[in-house]
Amino acid sequence: MKISRRDFLKWSVAAGVALNIEFDMANVNTVLAAETDPPIIWIQGAGCSGCTISTLNVTNPTTIDDVLLNKISMKYNSTIMAASGDLAIQNLEECATQYNGQFILVIEGAVPTGASGNYCIIGEVNGVPLTMQQAVLKYGPMAKYVVAAGTCASFGGVSAAGINKTGCVSVKTILTGKTINPVVNLAGCPVHPTVIIQSLLDLVLIGKPTVDSYNRPTKYYGKSVHDTCERREQDDANGIGATTGCFEEYGCMGPGCKNVCQTMKWNKGQAWCISVNYPCIGCSNPTFPTNPLLSNRD
Amino acid sequence: MSTIVLDPITRLEGHLKVSVTLDANNNVTAAQATGNLYRDFENMLVGRVPSDAAFLTQRICGVCPVSHAIASSKATEQAKGFTPTLQALLLRNLIQGANFIASNVLHFYQLALLDYIQGPQMNPWAPGYTQDFRLSATDSQTLMNNYVTALSIRRQAHEMGAIFGGKLPHVGNVVPGGVTASPTSTHITNFRNYLNTITTFVQNTYRADVNKLAAAYSDYYQIGKGYGNLISYGVFDTNTTGTKLFPAGTVTSGIVGGFVSTNIKEYVGHSWYTSPSGVNPASETTTPSYGKSGAYTWLKAPRYNGTPYEAGSLARTWISGDYKVGVSVMDRHMARCIETGKIATNMQTWLNQVVVGKSGYTNIGTPTTGTGIGLTEAPRGALGHWVSVATSKISRYQIVTPTCWNASPMDDAGNVGPIEKALIGTHVADTTQPVELLRIVHSFDPCTGCSVHVMSPEGVEMSNFVVQPI
Repeated sequence: MKISRRDFLKWSVAAGVALNIEFDMANVNTVLAAETDPPIIWIQGAGCSGCTISTLNVTNPTTIDDVLLNKISMKYNSTIMAASGDLAIQNLEECATQYNGQFILVIEGAVPTGASGNYCIIGEVNGVPLTMQQAVLKYGPMAKYVVAAGTCASFGGVSAAGINKTGCVSVKTILTGKTINPVVNLAGCPVHPTVIIQSLLDLVLIGKPTVDSYNRPTKYYGKSVHDTCERREQDDANGIGATTGCFEEYGCMGPGCKNVCQTMKWNKGQAWCISVNYPCIGCSNPTFPTNPLLSNRD
Repeated sequence: MSTIVLDPITRLEGHLKVSVTLDANNNVTAAQATGNLYRDFENMLVGRVPSDAAFLTQRICGVCPVSHAIASSKATEQAKGFTPTLQALLLRNLIQGANFIASNVLHFYQLALLDYIQGPQMNPWAPGYTQDFRLSATDSQTLMNNYVTALSIRRQAHEMGAIFGGKLPHVGNVVPGGVTASPTSTHITNFRNYLNTITTFVQNTYRADVNKLAAAYSDYYQIGKGYGNLISYGVFDTNTTGTKLFPAGTVTSGIVGGFVSTNIKEYVGHSWYTSPSGVNPASETTTPSYGKSGAYTWLKAPRYNGTPYEAGSLARTWISGDYKVGVSVMDRHMARCIETGKIATNMQTWLNQVVVGKSGYTNIGTPTTGTGIGLTEAPRGALGHWVSVATSKISRYQIVTPTCWNASPMDDAGNVGPIEKALIGTHVADTTQPVELLRIVHSFDPCTGCSVHVMSPEGVEMSNFVVQPI
């Protein structure tokens, strides 16, 4: 489906009105009138690029080609951008300056603070290494919105697991009190593609989302996987791998894990972890990865 | 003499920096690759139940998570003395195959192609280099159109893999004991529909586009060779007795030979680690030490019989006999495309063998004690996990990733890594736009938290893209 950015925004607004979502129409009009697409700067720290890859998988509300061509302006994302080296870093600097106070900063991965931040260097500025920690502190306060994409950025996640020798922390830990708007956490390992893309569009169209105590939009993180699970009312499963039955007996993290896995499924609705007969490992939880992963036991 | 620093090298997974020294004729005389991210995975796994590693190690790389899940599961299965059922192996092949296709298509179109053609003049396709673009406007437009189609194809490959794996990236059910999926006839039909669409693209469009690129850049069959030594651990089990679609092996000075994992040792003389150097992963440890004197990267230097080897599609196709023309930038693209076609074709066969209604999982419990090695291939090359288990918990875990082979630093004997070697001798036409260096680095499809940094011979970091007379 190919529709123009303007049509898409109008459609989004119409859909939102139908769903009783409140719009700031002045804001919508500003967006519709904007000469450029909303600028996004996407930087990656201690992570795996899985959230970028997951984002490429988006099909709802639209596909990634349409997102990149018509909906947003991806100013910086090291996985897909053409520019390398100095050209890339210059572009980052220029965009942050030009759109100071206007751009959305997406942060993927946790932020290592050990070894003075040197466990993750994202590039060099005039010959000086730029650590992820420095980049977050530099660009976070310049952004209109800061989005933590995935569990590592939201809560530390796998990157902060165990003894956490690299001193990984969440984006919120670094930036609380330093940003124009509170950090929006979009947990998930990886982040669900619809959650990240629709959240970015919502920020542009609507503004700040309603969030829970973990700064997650209630729109996506209001219900636990267990609340919505098709196996919820079933008897205990006859072991891991069983095609029916509840996995709670086996430490399934579903009761405490809030995400859209069951309601939206993954990969254009193909499946989700429990539908392929393995318990939820709680990858969206603030405590992920627990030791052991399946640790929801009485 | 002058230096060029590329940091970050984009269009790859992770954080890579490359720096090179040029002579007066702008030929590369020295090169250093730097991985700029350290995440302490190996130590983080100690004290956990072995099955957790199949999930956590996927989070090393969002581009090749399935291969990590399989390597980890195989290591624990070996520690337990278990061989998965054919159903388990077939399901793993189908999920891993889907991920290989997604990754290889992503690599050619989204990661590599922009070194050869100019994209739309908007972010994220601009700015970019404008140097040495040789294709006609028509051909460039065709390739860019296919870049957009490829976004859809790689997404569909992930959707296909998720049918049995639950989700991608980071599958939910590849564990020691097999795969917990239990295929229905609807799953199989759905999978086959995807596979048909994807196979058509791979065999027609992808192949034609690689040929188009190779015709315009035939000099790149002579550029970026490196050592020419190749290594593969083998991948895609076709039966329960260890036969693989792409067999394990080595290519040394053009001769195909065997592979024995005990011949692998990792060296850390030039890496930011103080743990012992020259140790096989089965007994190795990892102690990070940023800023260690003489070191310049977070990557260790794995060596086979003390020698640097290149991992990747070309290693697999050379050993299997599917493509063994040369070792170069363009040979790597050609091999990657040819193996993608072969994988897609064989996935049809594996799909036909899958038994409806039969689980791919066997509950093997947890090994109380033992050691295991899980060897497989990620799209970008040889991947190994080494596990030791004591009192039912992981007591040691070591991982050697393909990019550790390829983007490894100088070893203790003074041999530079394969990417570093491939860069040496390259002529850079325009030092403000060193696209030749990007083409070489990208041809290896580097992944994980690796970055290529350029350093001066003294180990002092030089300015990005700043060409300085010395």
